[in-house]
Amino acid sequence: MISRGILGAAFFLHASPRYRHIKKFFHNLLENSSYPYKKFFDYTMITLIIVSVLILIRHVKHEVSPELLFFNNYIISVIFLAEYLIRFWIYSDISKVVIEQYEHDLFLQRPFRLGEAYRKILAKKSEYIFSPSALIDLMAIMPFFHELRILRVFILFRVFKLFRYAKSLTQFVSILSSKKFEILTLGLFATVIISVSSILIYIMEANNPASPINTLFDSLYWSVVTIFTVGYGDMVPVTTEGRTVAMAIIVAGIAVISFATSIVVSAFTEKLDEIKEDKLIENVSKMESFYLICGYSTLSEQVGWQFKKKGAKTLILDADPIKVAQAQKEGFIALALNPASLHSYHQLQIDWDRQILGTVLLHESDVLNVYTALTIRELNAKVKILSILHQQENRRKLSLAGIDEIVYTQQLVALMSKEVSGRPVAFEVIHALRSENSGVLIEEIALDNITKNHLFDTVEMGLFQRRLMFLGIYKTLQRKFLFNPSQSIRIDAGDVAIVIGTQALIDEFKTLLHKHAKGKR
Amino acid sequence: MKYSGAIVFGFNEYAKQIALQIVDDYEKFAVFVKNESEYSAAKEAEFAVELFDLSENWDSLKRFDLNSLIVFCALEDDAENVFLTISLRSIFWEMPIIALASDYESSAKLKSAGANKVMPKLQITANVITEMFEKPTVTEVLHDILYEESSLKIAQITVPHTSNFVGKHLHDIDFSKKYDVLVLAIVDHALSATFSFTAKGHNHHIDPEDILVVVGYDEKIEAFKSVIEGVS
Repeated sequence: MISRGILGAAFFLHASPRYRHIKKFFHNLLENSSYPYKKFFDYTMITLIIVSVLILIRHVKHEVSPELLFFNNYIISVIFLAEYLIRFWIYSDISKVVIEQYEHDLFLQRPFRLGEAYRKILAKKSEYIFSPSALIDLMAIMPFFHELRILRVFILFRVFKLFRYAKSLTQFVSILSSKKFEILTLGLFATVIISVSSILIYIMEANNPASPINTLFDSLYWSVVTIFTVGYGDMVPVTTEGRTVAMAIIVAGIAVISFATSIVVSAFTEKLDEIKEDKLIENVSKMESFYLICGYSTLSEQVGWQFKKKGAKTLILDADPIKVAQAQKEGFIALALNPASLHSYHQLQIDWDRQILGTVLLHESDVLNVYTALTIRELNAKVKILSILHQQENRRKLSLAGIDEIVYTQQLVALMSKEVSGRPVAFEVIHALRSENSGVLIEEIALDNITKNHLFDTVEMGLFQRRLMFLGIYKTLQRKFLFNPSQSIRIDAGDVAIVIGTQALIDEFKTLLHKHAKGKR
Repeated sequence: MKYSGAIVFGFNEYAKQIALQIVDDYEKFAVFVKNESEYSAAKEAEFAVELFDLSENWDSLKRFDLNSLIVFCALEDDAENVFLTISLRSIFWEMPIIALASDYESSAKLKSAGANKVMPKLQITANVITEMFEKPTVTEVLHDILYEESSLKIAQITVPHTSNFVGKHLHDIDFSKKYDVLVLAIVDHALSATFSFTAKGHNHHIDPEDILVVVGYDEKIEAFKSVIEGVS
């Protein structure tokens, strides 16, 4: 009966979109660093911690108003408690475990074992309860630390709690934890030295009335102060034997310090590339409007430069770290991620519609380009994909993979060679227009509902006569170009006007076109 | 100027595409290759093919009309291509040579070796790729004008001595309204050997032998040609 009720509840929760939605919201808020509102939550928590510590510091020598103390001891603690419980809730999915257990037993034709499900839930939840960060959270909730002076030490846990919300602090801990073995060895070494020297100095000095070291605690204190090369000088050995021990411990102290320093430094050096990569990935996920180049080659380098020249941003992805290093050396933003793997894009958390202007596939094989195109199409159906084609016979395969534009260099160069041999001047003219180096350029102007009605009025203006060439209108819907059209043609919003002129004149044309349109609105 | 003969050197994928594009434009056409494998590939593609080596004295070229011959140097290896260009140029001073280069560096070398026009493959591809994203409509329209079988064409028309246009100024004539063509550029020999864009606003004086680069529909260009040549 009970197990049936629990099972019913589990199925209900599992199927409830509202419950899922709420749980997902809290998961994002607390755990998902790419969730835009998480930072507001983190900042609030950091502020609460700082306020709480400041109140305690103030309370050491001054009176603090009871309202503030109440706020510190109860309000903040309740907020922390709520956070702790929510984290406990979202750590694992109880309903899922129950359902899985039920289905498992059903499959094996056994009666549903609720106890087994409980055991699994308990194991999972205690994993959370005994995790270091959850233990710190729990200690930080303690509201009564001000009652007993010694309990004020719990304030420390509130400070530790900061680690949860500041990414750089978490990173610091994770770097040090990679050297767990070395740190443990060092700790052991220091403990042995301290114990031995404390006992030795106690034996040598405790019975000497002239010596300030009288108790075992004194000798422990002296050992720690000496071994870590602080040496206050408030307690010094006076006997020859004691001083001999001091000399040995000073030498050992240097070993401890240098060992500790080297552990930290080497941990950071080893992790430096990883940290840099993480930082780069973080920066990329914040980047706006860029072109994605998949595969790094000499062609990718040229394409990258061309985009740069036009003021556009690019991101290069290549699975080969050597090629990526080369790209970075050339000054590009490049990441050693496989552009054909879904995982890479999940890692980058790319928002295709907002961030990517277009994708260029420049791998040195058609196979890889097709594979990458399929990966990208799986993630986004709309983004424009252009690919280079290496073998003419693969053209259809590239189209089928969802590539919008295919560039076959060999054919392109051949067409140009034909043109340059047949009509060299005409070719040069078009080439100069495209390269934009001659001062005259060809530009496309997208027309909207208002500007479309004023195109011809603006073209006819005296300023543009004989200087701005109106080549024609590209009818976007019909995918047709109308050369030198008469004023009677119908222009629709979304059509594109193509004009040739100097940059200054084209800019002026655009300005006047909009002004004209505004004036007549 | 229209040439009667053309030679493509090499038979890699680039050379093959060039051969396919131009074979019908010339009365005499041949592919010159360096090794047997390229020889048989070119033969299979039904091209007239000959073997050559870089150290020869080019007697085999004499069966072409050397005053009306254009060559395309499209060997795979850039160094060999430079060597081929320089060896052709050392014998044939006037012959137009178009050469393919992998990058800017070889491009500069080929120019020094005497190529009239160098086509840097990488840059051309990179330019086209970026243009397809940054100016998709312009790229499509220009591509149609230059390479596709659309009726919109670009043409270069030389002004004959007898033309009615001689002595007029460019701005005296409303090309777009009267002839439905646009004059993109003019090679005004009186001012410079290279072309200048009409959009620069300079009112050129039209002299004999000036070249007008015009865009328009096929029949309009033909009609305009007739007018300029004073036929009608």
